[in-house]
Amino acid sequence: MRGNTLAAGLVGLAVVFLIVAVLYAFGVLQIMVSDPSSHHHYTHAVLFAGLAVASLVAANFARQKKTT
Amino acid sequence: MTLAQALFMGLLQGATELFPVSSLGHAVVIPSLLHWTFKQSDPSFVPFLTLLHLGTAGALLFIYRSQWVAIIRGFFTAAFRGRIESQPERLAMLLLVGTIPAGILGVFLEHQFKVLFATPRVAAAFLVVNGGLMLGFEHLRRRTEQRAALQGQTRVEQEERFGEAEHITFRAAALVGACQALALVPGISRSGVTIGGGLMAGLRHQEAARFSFLLATPIIAAAGLIEVPQLFTGGVPIAEYMAGAVLAAVAAYLSARFLLRYFRSGRLDPYGFYCIAAGVAAFALLTFGA
Repeated sequence: MRGNTLAAGLVGLAVVFLIVAVLYAFGVLQIMVSDPSSHHHYTHAVLFAGLAVASLVAANFARQKKTT
Repeated sequence: MTLAQALFMGLLQGATELFPVSSLGHAVVIPSLLHWTFKQSDPSFVPFLTLLHLGTAGALLFIYRSQWVAIIRGFFTAAFRGRIESQPERLAMLLLVGTIPAGILGVFLEHQFKVLFATPRVAAAFLVVNGGLMLGFEHLRRRTEQRAALQGQTRVEQEERFGEAEHITFRAAALVGACQALALVPGISRSGVTIGGGLMAGLRHQEAARFSFLLATPIIAAAGLIEVPQLFTGGVPIAEYMAGAVLAAVAAYLSARFLLRYFRSGRLDPYGFYCIAAGVAAFALLTFGA
């Protein structure tokens, strides 16, 4: 049960990371960027997309598996 | 930038990226010592660095091509299964865990670190610090060898008592990955601190170098690929830059081959002494004028 709660939390985190990645890609977010005049921050977008994938992988590891 | 300068910078970048002597430190210090006029803060210099990084990443991918196939396959298999069942799967997950802290710190701190530290004299000073770190890592390793009573054995026998990259803990992988962020400071070597981190995690020198090179590949390749669109902006001398990148790839390939052979029994000490000597000499030349 605890594993499934953690997995759900990690999926939620993945969604947040994905949203942040999209916001950086479209230039809506400008937090801690080297060039605020630039419209797109692909480096930040790629980082947060990567973190979203990592969170999903971690969620799959955390969820309780069916024993066969 | 002339063709000769591009070739020299390619050779310098390719060789020093993998040797534990700081490529960024050398790239900041040497052009300044040679009184070259091109500015590394110039926007046209970014595409050049991009190509050099792609060259280095290409060489590393070529050397570890069969391992990368197994790692990528292992990553997807373990990720979908939700469980690790083989060595390549474990290595894939260790690399993922090691890449995350480096990626976060790199993206958010790179610009700030460059602004603060990317001056030749500061880079020279940090080269000395890097040398001290290399000697410190080896000092700690020797203490571990003493505790394990390995003094009477040959270096190869001593090394065999330490572990392989696939067996380190995930916490150690994250720490080694975080060490990469130190290399944002010009003068601190990325491969040096990650090899040192690997030694602290109980790896053999050769395995610490392999883990360092594998850990570097996604970061170097991603940093290069993200900047690729800049290559197609006007005024980029693409032929000169490409020549530099090819030389960087050749130098990186030869460096990696040499280092993997060297670390079968070799230590970080010579690179530590070199960094201290080079840093002191460069600092003196830059301060008192050459």
